Amino acid sequence: MKQSSHGGSPARELTTWFQLRRWLKARWNLNLLLGVISLTTLAAVWELGKPLGIPLISNVPPPSEVIVAAQDLLTSEQYWQGWYLSLQRITIGFIIAQIIGIPLGLAMAINRMTFDTTFPVIEILRPIPPVAWIPISIVFWPTREMSVIFIVFLGAFWIVLLNTIGGASHIDPSYKRAALSLGSRPNDLFWKIILPATIPSIVTGMAVGMGISWEMVVASEMIAGDTGLGYLLWLSFQINAIGHVIVCMISIGIAGYCSSAIIRAAGEWATPWRRLF
Amino acid sequence: MATQGALAIRHAGKIYDPEGVHVVALDDVSVDIGAGEFCVIVGPSGCGKTTLLNAVAGFDQLTDGEIVMDEQLLASPGRKLLPGPDRMVVFQHGALFPWKTVLWNVACGPIAQNRMTPTEANEKARELLGRVGLAGAEKQYSGELSGGQKRRVEIVRALMNDPKILLLDEPFRALDALTKSVVQEYLLELYDYSRKTVFFITHDLEEAIFLADNVVVMTTRPGRVKKIVRVDMPRPRTHEVTTTDRFLQLKSELGAAIHEEALRAFEAGERELA
Repeated sequence: MKQSSHGGSPARELTTWFQLRRWLKARWNLNLLLGVISLTTLAAVWELGKPLGIPLISNVPPPSEVIVAAQDLLTSEQYWQGWYLSLQRITIGFIIAQIIGIPLGLAMAINRMTFDTTFPVIEILRPIPPVAWIPISIVFWPTREMSVIFIVFLGAFWIVLLNTIGGASHIDPSYKRAALSLGSRPNDLFWKIILPATIPSIVTGMAVGMGISWEMVVASEMIAGDTGLGYLLWLSFQINAIGHVIVCMISIGIAGYCSSAIIRAAGEWATPWRRLF
Repeated sequence: MATQGALAIRHAGKIYDPEGVHVVALDDVSVDIGAGEFCVIVGPSGCGKTTLLNAVAGFDQLTDGEIVMDEQLLASPGRKLLPGPDRMVVFQHGALFPWKTVLWNVACGPIAQNRMTPTEANEKARELLGRVGLAGAEKQYSGELSGGQKRRVEIVRALMNDPKILLLDEPFRALDALTKSVVQEYLLELYDYSRKTVFFITHDLEEAIFLADNVVVMTTRPGRVKKIVRVDMPRPRTHEVTTTDRFLQLKSELGAAIHEEALRAFEAGERELA
């Protein structure tokens, strides 16, 4: 905080601080500024790690080398193909997970018979981490592509399934009762009450599922793939191009961030009434 | 004055029997509510008030007794009653659909029942919302409203369906005292305007006397009718009546009866815990 030159009271200093903040907010974006400061600090510590001999940090190439590696990688066709293929796998696997997961979850929540028949199978399979499915997936599916997509699918599937079941089975019974009193037929309750009341849970499941999908696409490309960002990362490591590894990591981070942003936007579009909370 | 909406509950009984343990929730409860009358049921928790309301609404079935409306048998042990727009409910925790706007919530009933076109329903909804001071809120989602506003919207939604009877299950329970008094006056205003039969459940004795034509005191489990007191204060009422001698007199008369039951309920709870 700036020391007041007028020898003012603490309250006065506080006011000056608020004025300073308001001034900053009006001209700059204070949040943005703080973000830039923290990122610059991170880059500086990282860059100076080697010359200053800071242990551990000096093991990884500094930002200046990463930028060189990035120029190298960003001009290669393999890198952009990696983006394309990883995104394609995410999209296909994720969408199939929604197409199967959401209706199955709704059916399980609504229909006791469906729940009782499917739940035991699900409870046995669900605790198995998707990564553990990779070997059997390679054996089961005719192509590597399909096995990677399958692993992505699994990553998103369980979480959206459980969220849908949870959301649809914890709807306040008053909603259904109110709808019946208002003249809804029992058969309309699904579209009028159950589905809209479950959408927020589905959206949450999708957001979490998207994160897991990225974990899975990278892991399965490393093990089973011969293309994609995850594969490129692993390949760079094996040829000791650590700069490339870091570029791949950052790329995956950006890709994951963008996918989550898309899901968030879709979620807000689908649940306009929740924007307020 | 309303010419229909007279409700008679005759010898109502409800026995819950989960895992062979008989719990008598209602035992021989008879209540007569005249057309256009405001009847308030008070009683301690677990006295079967909500069970009774759910039976009239068609959410739950009685195991004994009959429900008759305008001389017509609605429910008896062999005759299942379904929910319908002739008996509209305002719920304890509120049941406005949060994914729809206020206007949609209010207008949806008559549209679903094919009684009004969407244009007519919206027009009527706007009129009623204006009457309870919510003219500007129609495009908002119900989640944007305060607790008191939500209650008003919900009462309006119920009235939109032109029910024979309005069933309110402790609708103002979650509201703070100031909001409560405002919403109560709005309810009375709507009541004076529509003259629907009202069946209102509460814990709150002052609320009961302020609103009611008749206050029915129920006993703790098993729920029976302990006392029926006629509130002979003129309408329209404002909160000023709560300081009149007649109000205080009714309050002490009813207070004694309710306190006795509350004590019994408390002791029964202690026994269950012991």
